[in-house]
Amino acid sequence: MSIGTFAGPVRSHRRALHSGGVRWAPYVFLAPFVVLFLVFLVAPIVTALYTSLFSVERSGLGFGNANESVFVGFDNYVRAFSDSGFISSFGRVLLFGIVQVPVMLTLAIVLALLFDSATVRWKRFFQLSVFIPYAVPAVVATLLWGFLYQPRVSPIVELLQTLGVQADFLAPGTVLWAIANVSIWSVTGVNMIIIFAALQTVPRDVYEAARIDGAGEFRMALRIKLPMVLPAVFLTTLFSIIGTLQLFNEPMTLRSITSNVTGDFTPNMAVFSATTLGGDINLGSAMAIMLGLVTFALSIVVSVASNRRKGGSR
Amino acid sequence: MARTTRRRLGTMLAVATAPALLLAACGSDESSNDDSASDNSGTAADDGPVTISFWGWVPGLEEAVAQWNDENPDIRVDFFRMTGDDGDRIPAAIDNGTAPDVVQMSVHSLPGHIVNNRLTDLTEIAGDWEDRFTPSSWGSVVFDGTLYAIPQDSGPSGLMYRTDIFDEHGIDVPETWDDYIEAGRALKDADPDLTIAQFSPNETGFWIQSVWQNGGTWNGIDGDAWTVNVADQESLEVAEIWQTLLDEELVTVVEMWTPEFWAEVNNGTIATIHYAAWFPVLLEESAESTAGNWAVAPSPTFDGTDTAGDTGGSVNVIPTGTEHVEQAAAFIEWLNTSDDGLEHLINGGIFPSAVAGLEHEALMREEEFFGGQVINEVFAEAALKVPATWVDGPTFELTQNALKDEFAQVANGRKTFAEALEDLRERSVADLTGMGLSVRE
Repeated sequence: MSIGTFAGPVRSHRRALHSGGVRWAPYVFLAPFVVLFLVFLVAPIVTALYTSLFSVERSGLGFGNANESVFVGFDNYVRAFSDSGFISSFGRVLLFGIVQVPVMLTLAIVLALLFDSATVRWKRFFQLSVFIPYAVPAVVATLLWGFLYQPRVSPIVELLQTLGVQADFLAPGTVLWAIANVSIWSVTGVNMIIIFAALQTVPRDVYEAARIDGAGEFRMALRIKLPMVLPAVFLTTLFSIIGTLQLFNEPMTLRSITSNVTGDFTPNMAVFSATTLGGDINLGSAMAIMLGLVTFALSIVVSVASNRRKGGSR
Repeated sequence: MARTTRRRLGTMLAVATAPALLLAACGSDESSNDDSASDNSGTAADDGPVTISFWGWVPGLEEAVAQWNDENPDIRVDFFRMTGDDGDRIPAAIDNGTAPDVVQMSVHSLPGHIVNNRLTDLTEIAGDWEDRFTPSSWGSVVFDGTLYAIPQDSGPSGLMYRTDIFDEHGIDVPETWDDYIEAGRALKDADPDLTIAQFSPNETGFWIQSVWQNGGTWNGIDGDAWTVNVADQESLEVAEIWQTLLDEELVTVVEMWTPEFWAEVNNGTIATIHYAAWFPVLLEESAESTAGNWAVAPSPTFDGTDTAGDTGGSVNVIPTGTEHVEQAAAFIEWLNTSDDGLEHLINGGIFPSAVAGLEHEALMREEEFFGGQVINEVFAEAALKVPATWVDGPTFELTQNALKDEFAQVANGRKTFAEALEDLRERSVADLTGMGLSVRE
């Protein structure tokens, strides 16, 4: 939206300078992005793709071998596919996402709408409070929450116990939701900010018109504000789904507190295990590419769904 | 092992955010494994002083290096203190020919580096140093007759126990593992809140030391093939002891190093901690409230065999590609076997692998936390009683990681120890064959 309003002046400005020969200017401005994009995104992906098609040839004890990399086609992908731990880690993060993303986004939307309505006092303070967890590194956040999860030292568990509830946040069946809780706590704030920012761009006269027509705050939020910020909601959905698949920090940190988080709890942890612990960069690359493809596919599904929604509502 | 734990955290922090970085790291792959001896930079080895670089983590190594540099103007050592995840930089550094000349690393990571041609064969230079080290520490640096590292420190086991608790209930300190189970029952009878030990699925050192004490190992070398021994008789006997302790609820199930664990220790609900020589200093740090109530006894024994366990420690290696192998070896020899070098290491808080270190006066200090006992007398005696049976395999870290997952299932009651070990064996065989190595079953 802001780009549209900007386009006019920029164009006229360029026309004025055109005779000075600044055709290369856009490329210069683009260069930093393109270089970083190529070096830190495209090159690693190409390297991983290449590495994933090779395997180090060893025999016997593996001592004194030449350790040459040989082309093995899709062998590493077959190995990754037949690794039940790796495959089930996808199921785990999908389950995680199905629950965590809607809960987190609902929270973010409700908070954003609350902050946008005129009735909230100390708006800045509360906004900052909701946002601050995002500034806490995931590892630190998990360590903090981990302290609250451990049965013998947690005030929460103790409180629940006095109420007669036996809670074990780190049991095999609950630990996934313990992680979801940490990530909801961490990222709700930033999603709230994105949606809140989108709300600020809604022209105020729309509200005035609604008010004159007799709409209350609640009705305005539901019928006007929410549809207007739907693109922002879709954007945050997309980011959240990608974040879910990339889940790593929280479970990895929680693993130091409970072994119920297995070494291949999430796809990224399985990649870490294969490369850093197992020293098998080829297998790890294949796994990383597979994860990338799944993420890509899901992103497309979400984008297509959101575009269709947008088209339909018009 | 404590170090490993800290390093693990560092690793997590480092790898934390970036799958892209992970992929970038993949770029420095095996393809650069070309014994880059010739293209490694460095000054000419012929005449004049040479400079070697040394990466290590023992506290106080700065002073050791300073003394060496004073006394040896011809071989200057540059020291770099490894912290956090610096250890993870080693493989890439060696593969790209930018590695230091001397590196401290965990003994368990040796085979993983050997199969990638990252370590210099030291047999000719140091093969005859064998008598200077404990048999068990030497046994774990020789693979298939070739010496790849010099032992630095080890973790012989001892039984740390609460004297006040044992006295109060009139229970004798156990001398065998059968006694240990009996003592566990007696403690539980005396006070249902008391357990004789803790079971921590996340801390594999407990398991390793007991299997080692029983003359077992995780891997072995049979001709030109690896063997997977994680579910052998020696391990199954340890499994039986732990199964009894767990089934009769004589142990507290709690993950090690967590606030929860230290709360249990400070509350006095755990009566013994059977662990390595490097553990007492950590116990003292985190369980101040129990000062004066601890003592160390020799490890309980498996019937009739007077052995002790070990968690394994660290070693010094010379990466391939180093130009000044002899000079590097001279420094390693001084640091790990000379009186001065050992004193620096001991003052840094580690338990030396050299026999001379076991008798070193710096080691034999009275510990106030342990009621004035010279606890290292017990550990020094243990160090010489550790069987030289342990062989690490190239998949040690994967096996260790898998053991944690398996033992978590044991703690949840979904598997027995014996079942967990059998599943571990299958995973281990698959990991080794996945690397293209031969496995003899």
